[in-house]
Amino acid sequence: MKPMLIPKEIREKTKYCFECGICTASCPMVELLSTHYNPRSLLQKVLTEPEKTLNDNRLWLCAWCYKCYKRCPQGLKLPEIFQLLKSEAAKRGLSNGFEEAVAIIEENVPFPVICWYTCFHPERAEVGDEKITEALEKLAAQRMQAKKKETATGHKGKVAIIGSGPAGLTAACELAEKGYSATIFEALPEAGGMLRKSMPEYRLPRKALESEIQCLKDLGVEIRTNTRIGKDISFDELWRDGYKAVFVGVGAHKSRKLGIEGEELEGVIDALGFLWKVNMQQKVSLGKKVGVIGGGNVAVDAARTALRQGAKEVVILYRRSREEMPANPWGVMEAEKESVKIEFLVAPKRILKKEGRAEGLECIKMKLGELDETGRKKPMPIEGSEFSLELDTIIVAIGETTETTFLPKEVEVDRGNRILVNPITMETSMTGVFAGGDTVTGPATVIEAILAGKRAACSINQYLTEIEEKEERNRGD
Amino acid sequence: MATEKKVEEEPRIGVYVCHCGLNIAGTVNCEEVARFAAALPHVIVAKDTRYACSDQGQELIKNDIKEHNFSRVVVASCSPRLHEPTFRKACEEAGLNKYLFEMANIREHCSWVHLHDKEAATEKAKDLVRAAVAKVALLEPAIETEVPILREALVIGGGVAGIQAALDLADTGYKVYLVEREPSIGGRMAQIDKTFPTMDCSICILAPKMSDVGHHPNIELLTNSEVQEVKGYIGNFKVKVLKKPRYVTDDCSACNDCSEVCPVTAPNEFDIGLATRKAIYTPFAQAVPSTYIIDREICLNKEGVMACDKCIKACERLAIDFDMKPETLELEVGTIIVATGADVYDPSSLLNYGYTHYPNVLTSLEFERLINAGGPSGGNLIRPSDMKIPESVAFIQCIGSRSKKGNFYCSNVCCMNTIKDSLLIKEHWPDVKIYVFYVDIRAVGKGFEDLYRRAKEEGVIFIRGLPAEVIEDRKTNNLWIIGENTLQKELYKVKTDMVILSVGIEPCHDSNVIQRLFTLSRTPDGFFMEAHPKFRPVDAPTGGVFLAGCAESPKDIKDSVTQASAAAARAGILMAQGKVTVEAITPEPIPENCTVCGLCARVCPYNAIVVDKERKLVEVIEAACVGCGTCGAECQFDALHMRHFTNAQILAQIDALTEEDADKKIIAFCCNWCAYAGADFAGVSRMQYPPNVRIIRTMCSGRVSPKFVEHAFARGAGAVLVAGCHPGDCHYIDANFQTQKRVERLWKKMERLGVDKERLQLLWASAAEGERFASKVRGMEATLNKLTPEELENSKKGFVGS
Repeated sequence: MKPMLIPKEIREKTKYCFECGICTASCPMVELLSTHYNPRSLLQKVLTEPEKTLNDNRLWLCAWCYKCYKRCPQGLKLPEIFQLLKSEAAKRGLSNGFEEAVAIIEENVPFPVICWYTCFHPERAEVGDEKITEALEKLAAQRMQAKKKETATGHKGKVAIIGSGPAGLTAACELAEKGYSATIFEALPEAGGMLRKSMPEYRLPRKALESEIQCLKDLGVEIRTNTRIGKDISFDELWRDGYKAVFVGVGAHKSRKLGIEGEELEGVIDALGFLWKVNMQQKVSLGKKVGVIGGGNVAVDAARTALRQGAKEVVILYRRSREEMPANPWGVMEAEKESVKIEFLVAPKRILKKEGRAEGLECIKMKLGELDETGRKKPMPIEGSEFSLELDTIIVAIGETTETTFLPKEVEVDRGNRILVNPITMETSMTGVFAGGDTVTGPATVIEAILAGKRAACSINQYLTEIEEKEERNRGD
Repeated sequence: MATEKKVEEEPRIGVYVCHCGLNIAGTVNCEEVARFAAALPHVIVAKDTRYACSDQGQELIKNDIKEHNFSRVVVASCSPRLHEPTFRKACEEAGLNKYLFEMANIREHCSWVHLHDKEAATEKAKDLVRAAVAKVALLEPAIETEVPILREALVIGGGVAGIQAALDLADTGYKVYLVEREPSIGGRMAQIDKTFPTMDCSICILAPKMSDVGHHPNIELLTNSEVQEVKGYIGNFKVKVLKKPRYVTDDCSACNDCSEVCPVTAPNEFDIGLATRKAIYTPFAQAVPSTYIIDREICLNKEGVMACDKCIKACERLAIDFDMKPETLELEVGTIIVATGADVYDPSSLLNYGYTHYPNVLTSLEFERLINAGGPSGGNLIRPSDMKIPESVAFIQCIGSRSKKGNFYCSNVCCMNTIKDSLLIKEHWPDVKIYVFYVDIRAVGKGFEDLYRRAKEEGVIFIRGLPAEVIEDRKTNNLWIIGENTLQKELYKVKTDMVILSVGIEPCHDSNVIQRLFTLSRTPDGFFMEAHPKFRPVDAPTGGVFLAGCAESPKDIKDSVTQASAAAARAGILMAQGKVTVEAITPEPIPENCTVCGLCARVCPYNAIVVDKERKLVEVIEAACVGCGTCGAECQFDALHMRHFTNAQILAQIDALTEEDADKKIIAFCCNWCAYAGADFAGVSRMQYPPNVRIIRTMCSGRVSPKFVEHAFARGAGAVLVAGCHPGDCHYIDANFQTQKRVERLWKKMERLGVDKERLQLLWASAAEGERFASKVRGMEATLNKLTPEELENSKKGFVGS
């Protein structure tokens, strides 16, 4: 008998796929690669002809965002099903699919080098470090050459990009390629946004980021660092300076507060600040026991980084159960492998104090109730279930919001301070202003931000083309 | 057991091993089992037979009884829950008392669950036959008592199913109480605009029936009322019904004068909040009874202080009475029909569809009210955001159905409902563009495919592929629908003015309350379970209780009505017979053993045991006792002879099952209603589990005396499982609390003796939880595998003589 490719329990589950197509329509990669990629039909092929899929390049095009899983009526984890096939292919030394995928990504995905690290994760399939490095080097080299060939003249008018995270970088790149003169305004001394600020080195080597930013500069995109809109330049000045359209991709950098006693104490830090300091090569002393509060990707990154910073014991405290956890399930699994502990259904109640600094956390156990407005089961405290944890450092990672005070009033935001856009055109309520990335969606994945940047660039192009045509008609009259 | 009644003469036993075609014979070597049985004590003849339940099979048994002068018969075939009555009847016809018959369940509990292990299945079948033979030798003849059946019925739920059932019974001539929680009968059907596939006006065909209920001399209608307590048994139920006050007397002429002056408004539940009503109101024009009602929760006079008297002043007939008090009625009925209906799925948690966030996204039930002439818009299809007639409407199917996020099952009616709705729109506004996003259109029913075809002909666009997302254009409130057309393998992006979410059907949010009141079972879906899916599809497992309508499963109006008539007929048969025999399984006190300690009376859930300390007597009230046997398990002195489930009989079964390889076996005591039925369900569903378990049936897990467990361990059994209904679901009120207590005491004792507690397991599994039973057995396999000889010796010694 042939070896079974898909473990029985997954096969059992996948039988329930009735091909509703929600996965495909939710997938950012489908939009980036159009007809080439279709997770629904790929899954069908996996189920009917697993052998034949082993060499299918589409297996390698899943960007691990789990958007399909979040919406799938059957709760199928496609990235993990594809992962099994990829591992099998790697084990058998079948590399055609992988190599084809590298070429497809190089051609179609903005910032392919960044995406290799942050989205596609060939290392999870154990392809072999050599092979990955080789593919990446080839990719980077091809990219440099390709970009240099293009002549970005900027004859089509000026567009301002606020924020140099993945959304802003993509928008600038796409616009520059279309012949616009794009200028990125970045408040920090270096470009990259969250990629630089909070993405740990183990997830994205600085070198890769630098090379991609260099590519962008080579395209003729100007990046003005240390320039905060609303402080160094006002938003209105952009119009006066001749920018015809603005893209806002400032991300979500403001950490939410716990709102409990003792939060101001020494030994309580916010996750983004912590990750930033580590990325800036600053030493952060954490002590032995670290508690991370939250269940998102930032919490998981902070926990894994804390381990790398020398913490002996790291525990993540999350108030709902594993199923509701917003963090990438694979990332969670990796963290657990690295010995990060996760306590589910636990919420902090107050920070315990000793000699002016935090020495622990009083927690309360939670249970899940009815569904709340986010469609998840609402956590409710269990009376009298309080307990204490001794901790040297408490890292707060309960979500990030956007700083939007610099925006003109015409740009509408929702109650969570997210910018409201038409999700198809990414246009805000103010004419000529577009937005995308975390600043619209709240904390999300790199690939989603890239897609938003690309969509916005398309719309900006359309918008400016229409204006130009109108002007031409007027001139003609 | 020297104290138990001895069977006087030498028993003469006939054993029949049924092939059941290949159902049993495909796995179990029936000839070998018959040969094995022939050698067992007292067995005169043992035969294998192709279909024991067929006429020929029964004739064979009957002839043999006469020819060989059998005094007892064993049939090894299917579950006694299926064919025990058949074979008992055959025995009776051959002149043998039917209580001298025993079955060995070698199909549901053996051949079907060990399909791939023929050898082990055959060995297990032998064991089960050996146990049945051991028990049958000790059985005693009995005569059943007859209980009269009251010729009055209770119908719970005034939807179309309840209405139909009540009318059928009332027309047959029985007195019917119809209890409805809402102020009016009518249920979901009253809310729907048209019915499929004939496009009849729903309320037009329902209203005359509602009115019939209101006027029928044999029907007592109790609206605004709820069942609070149910006692008794088949034929003789005592039901407490809380009749909540309407604060309006029957003098009300439904003139609406009161409602016009009432200053308080609230969302109208009947219109799902799309319109308002007053604090004094009638839910809808055709309501039965037509008497108005005051919602005291919102009425200005809610605190009991008269702050407003506008309605009192407006009412010319002086029908308003704020002093009305709740009443508790005590009804005595012979049969009960449960027709409590269903709820619809709430799609608010599907954030990607924006229900409650986008005004123009509605549910299909809201749509029914919107397009209904009696509804809030007077039948004009308008979209909530701007009150304009939409140019395009999209229906999204399978909302909350066939999904891990909602319910796994298909809700049965949504496809046809959407097709009907699409045609309704086309009928009034032919230019409206209609999209239906679906995965499978299920048009299985008379006339359904025709309707589907008509919708296609009318130009309704069916797109295969569910939307991933509905996005609102904030300026126009129009909706973008994004998904994949899975037939074209292309993404679609469709703009519509309105989206209707075709929501599925869910069990009533409080169906657990009804479940407890009537000791019903629910399937994993949450709907009430029938006694047998094929042959008793409207009978509840509880005698004298029947099911109708969506309470049993999602179904359309036609099916609800059909089922209601069937339930009425089933209840009618019982009441026409006027009497029912009760199984002769009640206990007989043995005065010479009794110390009159009174423990038996204390654990009896039915207060059916009277202890007379003065006369040193314990008496069982036959009519109140239902034979659960928990008294027998509690008695330390063998002073209660549990007929048909005697200590001697059960101990003989244990002995038989532990005769060989006891250490490799799990002796399982399963209650008839839940665990045994659950094991049957596992068999019917062909769920495979290790062939190590040997099931002994008792009526209730409360019958399981600690000495049975101890005896099993003393005999070297590897493990023991005690399994019953979930706490609160016990078919004998709360007898299984005693089970729990006894098992906990046994665990303590095991601890004291240094015996591994894992070896005694307690399982709560309902009749629908076959998988739960199967996985328990799988789990216990591990316990068996790690047993050491020392451990076994220890438990044998520890429990010998205890």
